[in-house]
Amino acid sequence: MAKIEIKKRKPVIPQGSMADIAFLLLLFFMVSTVFVQEKVFWVERSRWPLAESIQKIPRNHTSTVYIKQDDTVLIDDVPYSMDDLETMRIASVMQRKLNNDANMIVCFRTDRDTKYGIMSDVMRQLQDIGALKVTFETQKKNN
Amino acid sequence: MIISRKRKGSSDIPTASTSDIAFLLIIFFMATTKFDVKEGLSMVLPPAAKEGAEVVKLSDKDMTRILIMSSGEIMLNNDNIGLFDQPVFDGKVKEIISANPAMIFSLKTDREARYNDMIRVLDRLKTAGVEKISLSTN
Repeated sequence: MAKIEIKKRKPVIPQGSMADIAFLLLLFFMVSTVFVQEKVFWVERSRWPLAESIQKIPRNHTSTVYIKQDDTVLIDDVPYSMDDLETMRIASVMQRKLNNDANMIVCFRTDRDTKYGIMSDVMRQLQDIGALKVTFETQKKNN
Repeated sequence: MIISRKRKGSSDIPTASTSDIAFLLIIFFMATTKFDVKEGLSMVLPPAAKEGAEVVKLSDKDMTRILIMSSGEIMLNNDNIGLFDQPVFDGKVKEIISANPAMIFSLKTDREARYNDMIRVLDRLKTAGVEKISLSTN
């Protein structure tokens, strides 16, 4: 009887499309990356107040306002002090942002030891220009 | 005499390392992406009062006044309940809500009071399920 020889082939995973897969992932990451507007994290997370009933905020409509303990207000890395003239400038900056996005939510990243007066002044400005949605950013309190 | 001809090298660009390059870029993007999750207490501010707008007067039984003083002490309807004490405060709020679920809370904070004190009270009100909160200062 004739011997039938079966050629054993080495199983090979095709690697030709590896680069395609990698580029697909790359494109996904490039598209989904949102670059933070500010260069510096002016108020560290550990300085935010603690709260329990917090909500997640859709981040594509947010605009962050940092308020430091020394009463400096920072919007897009530009510091403003709270005298009358600068307050007007805050209003005009926020007005411009509001014109770009009518659903803008203003996020306050305020140091927990800041005096409330400055918050109130900034919020008064926001009210005047009609930016009414605000969020006080907080850390989650662990019970 | 035999002169061996020079072999022509192939003119292809090697593509075997494309995936390596792509993965390198992916790793770069993954490492530099900062996930900046935003979480916090959301509020909608009332629109600025226009001149000639109708003024709605509220009676005291529909409104609870909370005043946070610069020292951090809390006044609840003109009654000093001392520094913030979560169980005491929660108890009082619960009492008020059970008596009138549609109660409006007016949270007035002194200009010199700490932001943290205001957020603590606001958080307790929100946790208790209060929906009508007004913020003001003096």
